[in-house]
Amino acid sequence: MIEAFFMAISPSYLFYMTIGVLLGLVVGTLPGLTATMGTALLVPFTFGLPTGEGIAMLGGLYVCAMFSDAIPACLVNTPGTPAAMATGFDGHPMVKQGRGQEAIVAACFGSAIGTVFGAICYLLLAWPMIAIALKFGPPQFFWLGIFALTIIGSLAGDSILKGLAGAAIGIMISCIGISHAAEVNRYTLNIPELRGGVSLVAALIGVFAVPQVLNMILNLKKEEFVAEYKSEPGVILSTIKKVILTPIHNLRSAVIGAFIGILPGAGSPIAAIVSYNEALRWSKDKSQYGKGDIRGVTASEIANNAAAPAAMIPLVTLGVPGSAPAAVIAGALMLRGLNPGPELFATDGSLVYSFGWSLLIAGIVVFFVGMFATPLLTRIIKIPLRVLAPMIMFLAIIGAYAIRNNIFDVYLMLLIGVFVFLVRRIGFHPGPIGLGFILGPIIEPNLVQALYISHAVGVQKVFFSGSVNLILISLSILSVSAVAISKFKSRNKTN
Amino acid sequence: MKISHLMKGITASVFGAAMLLTGTTANAAWDCKEVTFIVPYSPGGGSDQMARRLQPGLEEALGVSVNIVYKTGGGGAVGFSELHRSKPDGCTISNVVVPNVIISSKGEGVGYKPDDFAYIGMTESSAGTLMVPKDSPYKTIEAFIAGAKEKPGMLTVAGTGGSGADRWAQLAEVLGIEATYVPVSGGVGKMMPMLAGSHVDAAATGANHATKHSGIVDSILIAGSNEVSTLPGVPTEPDWNYVVTWGIMAPPGTPADYVEALNVALNSAASKPEVREALLKGGYVPHIQTVAEVNAFMADEIAKLAD
Repeated sequence: MIEAFFMAISPSYLFYMTIGVLLGLVVGTLPGLTATMGTALLVPFTFGLPTGEGIAMLGGLYVCAMFSDAIPACLVNTPGTPAAMATGFDGHPMVKQGRGQEAIVAACFGSAIGTVFGAICYLLLAWPMIAIALKFGPPQFFWLGIFALTIIGSLAGDSILKGLAGAAIGIMISCIGISHAAEVNRYTLNIPELRGGVSLVAALIGVFAVPQVLNMILNLKKEEFVAEYKSEPGVILSTIKKVILTPIHNLRSAVIGAFIGILPGAGSPIAAIVSYNEALRWSKDKSQYGKGDIRGVTASEIANNAAAPAAMIPLVTLGVPGSAPAAVIAGALMLRGLNPGPELFATDGSLVYSFGWSLLIAGIVVFFVGMFATPLLTRIIKIPLRVLAPMIMFLAIIGAYAIRNNIFDVYLMLLIGVFVFLVRRIGFHPGPIGLGFILGPIIEPNLVQALYISHAVGVQKVFFSGSVNLILISLSILSVSAVAISKFKSRNKTN
Repeated sequence: MKISHLMKGITASVFGAAMLLTGTTANAAWDCKEVTFIVPYSPGGGSDQMARRLQPGLEEALGVSVNIVYKTGGGGAVGFSELHRSKPDGCTISNVVVPNVIISSKGEGVGYKPDDFAYIGMTESSAGTLMVPKDSPYKTIEAFIAGAKEKPGMLTVAGTGGSGADRWAQLAEVLGIEATYVPVSGGVGKMMPMLAGSHVDAAATGANHATKHSGIVDSILIAGSNEVSTLPGVPTEPDWNYVVTWGIMAPPGTPADYVEALNVALNSAASKPEVREALLKGGYVPHIQTVAEVNAFMADEIAKLAD
């Protein structure tokens, strides 16, 4: 392990990892470019490099994309990758209040903390953590999805019913396509592109970017800019101080991020959502969440970054990647004749550990890159809306197209965007709809598989027994009751 | 204003120069400037790896660059139908997975039939394998059969998607047992942790996956009559028909001489020692086929799965 550390700090490793980080900055900032696509595009460039440097570069991209996706989420309420959806809930209001630099510095520092924590888990706790992760089968994933759904209570604003309806719409749309259980077409309307379902990234761009642009255009007479750009002198130090002053919140977010990241099939987006939900639940002063509470930003960013190194843990312990970018990195290893899995510890142990160290150092590098880039990036809001709106639309269209090189995804994005724009006018919040898109693929297939299993051993045993199930069910009930109680209280107050 | 004109001019010149520079030496049989290789499955997955394994050899043999493009979704249907719509000029190819291409073609509105495509050649195949978790009480197929007979219908077996149900039904009949089938899709990546964590009692998928994950799962039966060298000592079941075959295909109507040229290039790429070694290490059976052989193979497979 020590030998691996020295490998990771050698100049060639640092060089390539930093290139990966810089590329990740671009990939994450452009909505429509995901970490998965970024790493996939980068893989061929790693062929000429020795393996250690190659995967350090890929890891650097992945880790930085998990930070930079917060930038558009905060500035223009459009997550750069699905993992940053929860970051925008508080990040964007902060920008509107003239606290944009604070938001991005918080996201950057949070991302660094999360990455370092996740890398430490990878280096030291891989085996104990994977033992817990193996307890997650279809029923457990189902309850995890339900638990993540309970965040609607906090997001929906005034009408929980509309929040639930929004999430239901999101889940239903995510079910479009070939069913996982049988080759049955669901709502594909005979359109071949829909057989694969609605692309998550195109849908999220549609849910967040398009209504934003439409609002900007409609408000051109009233508002010339996203928000007033205020130069915030000393913001870097003061924000870092603020973040350091919430250590328990930070630790909880990191732990949630690492545990969810390690589950194959869950990943940074779910980690961020659950972390946000928990941060909200445990904080004494909930009033500012959704309105610009810095803890909303750090909860999401610490978690989605901790999930990235954690997603590598199942890869090196079970041979199964924990997230899509991890799958790409696994593919890169396999192309070099390596078999990621428990045997890799025996044959190439130093590679396994040096990768972990590279991720840890990448977290620190991301911090410095972010600090440099923040003042420049926040200046984006100085661009007047009449220029910014078309720019965002342009990027949204390119982004939606780039996912599968399919113009159909662009049409879908626009369709969903117009729909969300219209329903916002009648009180629907886009958050629950986005949530439905992300959670649908977790809840539905796992529910179906768990039901199949229960044909053999009974519903009671499958869904309602086992410590993980019971913990998740209790957490969900707690989460829902907390919201119900607080709504009840506030209604009584106004009476 | 002047600066923007200057920028336009520079951009145009850069594009022009780039286009000039990407002209390449043409192959005598066809004049593609580059080849687009559509991968109908996710990056990092088996088809992606196959494409990347073959890429260097293909580029060498064809003399042009081969660009991998992902068109995922629908269990391969999106990529296959994309190929179906592509120009048959020999410049676009894709992975083909049998029987996926045949089964997915039966879906409504999918836009292709498996006999439409111009097949270039199959490169590898993998036999179906029944696996159990490392700590399973059923360490051999006999033990599994006995366990299933003790509690009919109570053991769970995971397989891929809807077609996996038919393959399991066939094996269940051969073994004379009843167990509950659990369809898993979204890649075998979900199946392995499910099995390793004992959320299902067994799983059936290709020997390549069994080989790759032999650290966390044990194999107890192989479909077909041939043993798999990477799974020593695992018995075979000739009455269980479960083979997955991978290869390359071109759009419908691709002229015969282009198909022939691509076949030659494919076989040269697939014969490279590092590719063969990777396949053997991975639990695959490598294949080299002529165009006549692949067409006969496909006709056979399509007939097997005809309604």
